[in-house]
Amino acid sequence: MNRGRIGIWMIVLLLASAVAGAQADLDERSLRLLGEPNGSPRSGAALERATEEVTSLMRCPVCQGLSVFDSGTPSALAMRAKAEVLLAAGYDEEQVLTYFETSYGEFIRLAPKPRGFNLFVWVVPAVFLLLGGWLILQRVRSKTAQEGAVEADAELEAYRERVRREVSE
Amino acid sequence: MNRKVLFIGLALVVPLLVFLAISFNYDPRYIESPLVGKEAPNFTLQSLDGEVVDLSALRGSPVVINFWATWCQPCIYEHPYLIELAKRYEGRAHFLGVIYQDEVANIERFLAQRGDWGKTLVDPAAEAAIAFGVYGAPETFVVDPDGMIVRKITSVIDPRSLSQLLNSML
Repeated sequence: MNRGRIGIWMIVLLLASAVAGAQADLDERSLRLLGEPNGSPRSGAALERATEEVTSLMRCPVCQGLSVFDSGTPSALAMRAKAEVLLAAGYDEEQVLTYFETSYGEFIRLAPKPRGFNLFVWVVPAVFLLLGGWLILQRVRSKTAQEGAVEADAELEAYRERVRREVSE
Repeated sequence: MNRKVLFIGLALVVPLLVFLAISFNYDPRYIESPLVGKEAPNFTLQSLDGEVVDLSALRGSPVVINFWATWCQPCIYEHPYLIELAKRYEGRAHFLGVIYQDEVANIERFLAQRGDWGKTLVDPAAEAAIAFGVYGAPETFVVDPDGMIVRKITSVIDPRSLSQLLNSML
């Protein structure tokens, strides 16, 4: 682990302790929004790993296409700290994402849920892939057919030439 | 064959053009807040003068919450508008500024030079910014007397429309 990453984790731990020591209102909010945690409390390496995983799925709100995990902005660090507090309390990945989605909207998810208009994003690449494959197949078949036709014509012409020679003899 | 190519080309290009034409009607920087029309998340934050402000305690009057910073040019631009509006609605609406990713010393220096317009709240762990889903500064939320968020304004406020909105709630 390099010095920069240690620094980031130290800031996250500081922010997490600040968030943990914050007023009960926010905890009430978490409870009201999410209900009881689905999992059991985490700590240590398991908490660090879970925080890394969930923040990798979250979009940094002030960056261009970066995840919260990959960003070192104050916003991302604060969100990472909040995610860590929720995960430490036993909330699972989906609950943590839902917590942030309630405030930021679905845009906060780097991978949109495959439903409604979002299906467009999931389906179109597959459709284009299939369409492209079909077009290539059609092209190859057509070329093969043309080559076959040319070969057939050449054979016929040779035969006709032979017939012409035989008849003229 | 040409007709076939034309058909496939149109089948690919036309939906793309329709998609782009629809998309041009939207501001790509604008992200709709899921909080509009819902109860404002509560926060309890300390102001620069040491007062503890509980958002839920302000119910009964409209509240304007502005997330701002001294490094943000639109915030500096809208600062005089907020001063005037806060004066106009003094005693009838609350104006709260929440420091967004900035140092308290910078804010204090700025306010000493340019004047204050309401309670300036310190949000050290960005809990209020996260609860309100702030994407950047400035962002302004208007909360009605019942504690519901009625509007989110990104970038500089329009003082006329904000006045109209506040008047409609008074």
